Amino acid sequence: MISHHPSETTLLAYAAGSLPEALAIVAATHIGGCSACRHRLEGLEAVGGVLLDALPPSALSDDALDRLLARADEPAPALPPVVNAGLPPPLDRVPLGRWWPIGVGARWRPVQAEGAAWGGLILVQPGRALPRHGHDGLELTCVLKGAFSDGSGRYGPGDLSEPQADHDHPPVAAAGEPCLCVIASEGMRLRGLLGWGQRMFGI
Amino acid sequence: MRRKGVDHPIWHVIHPHPNHVRGSVNATAPASGASDTRPAPASPAFGVAGLVLPFRRRISPPGMTADTPASDDHAALIQAIAQRRDRLAFAALFRFFAPRVKAWMLRGGASPVAAEELAQETMLAVWQKAALFDPARAGASTWIFTIARNQRIDSLRRERHPATLLPDPVDEPEEPVQADRVLAMAQQESRIRVAMAALPAEQAEVIRKAFFEDKVHAEIEKELGIPLGTVKSRLRLAMNRLRAALGDVT
Repeated sequence: MISHHPSETTLLAYAAGSLPEALAIVAATHIGGCSACRHRLEGLEAVGGVLLDALPPSALSDDALDRLLARADEPAPALPPVVNAGLPPPLDRVPLGRWWPIGVGARWRPVQAEGAAWGGLILVQPGRALPRHGHDGLELTCVLKGAFSDGSGRYGPGDLSEPQADHDHPPVAAAGEPCLCVIASEGMRLRGLLGWGQRMFGI
Repeated sequence: MRRKGVDHPIWHVIHPHPNHVRGSVNATAPASGASDTRPAPASPAFGVAGLVLPFRRRISPPGMTADTPASDDHAALIQAIAQRRDRLAFAALFRFFAPRVKAWMLRGGASPVAAEELAQETMLAVWQKAALFDPARAGASTWIFTIARNQRIDSLRRERHPATLLPDPVDEPEEPVQADRVLAMAQQESRIRVAMAALPAEQAEVIRKAFFEDKVHAEIEKELGIPLGTVKSRLRLAMNRLRAALGDVT
């Protein structure tokens, strides 16, 4: 049962295509498993369709249609291959780096994404804290396996956490199985193990 | 630069709908109330308003056929492409949508050449993916909006990261098609149109900027010279009103 969802403004940015890639991957992971958010998204996309209809047209060159019809037999481009068979879409087709140990009881696997946000998978042993950094910008976390809790509630598989700027309670993996999440953030990108160590332990 | 793929639409992997071509749905022509802003049919010989002709399966040569739907019935035009590779239907769609997609890309900061290229790529994808159009899920404008949006992301991505493509997050089994849902989706766009027209100007403006100028909220704040909290609350107010218009569909 999914009980934590992205905010309306985050979903709007996703619908408009303006969410940076890494954050869009986390949002898409949630939406893919959440029919309620799918419906919300379809409504926002319908708003986009109506706005597109209403845009004042900007003429193309005279031969644009003919040039396009000359390409009518081109096949549709293929999706990239599945490279992570065990992960839900779209993560199954997103290239990932290798696993890195980040302190005690946690491992990190970066997503290869462009744009103004960074992201990756994080695997945290039961009872350990998830790394979460500062409060600048949007941060999204979607649980894939296991669960974690923070001051605002418990997050299980499919749940999406979008902490508010003043939220200051560190998430801790629940007892039982390790917690696997996909996280993205447009906050400051710390580099290397030291950065993660800083975030993990608040040094 | 474009990815050349295998010769089948692998999007079926992401959209595993069992029946993309809805042969049995009997719907009336959607959204005739808003057709006044759209171009008149190119020739009366090809426009038969009020009927969704593509549902009538028939074997006819590819390209121009006398069954091409009215040029303002965009959903029927897409289905004519899916079923008959109807080039006249495609030309009608192209005349309406390509200049609007180009206008969007220009607003988003693309150069005139890049904007035209993106409009072309969007319309090519419309042609290639017409069989994936499902009038029970989305209106024609909505579907083309999502294709243009994905093309736009993809083109930005291609410059920096050509190997990745983020698929649409649709992986649930499709519920059976209901004719009333097809009709409801077709009417949804006109209800949103009415709701948009009723929005206060400043709320409509933040919505338009959020969609077409690729503005994050902080940038809208700077551009409009209003506090971030005001941008967010305008967006929220506008979304509440639009949600009310959407409510009985979802």
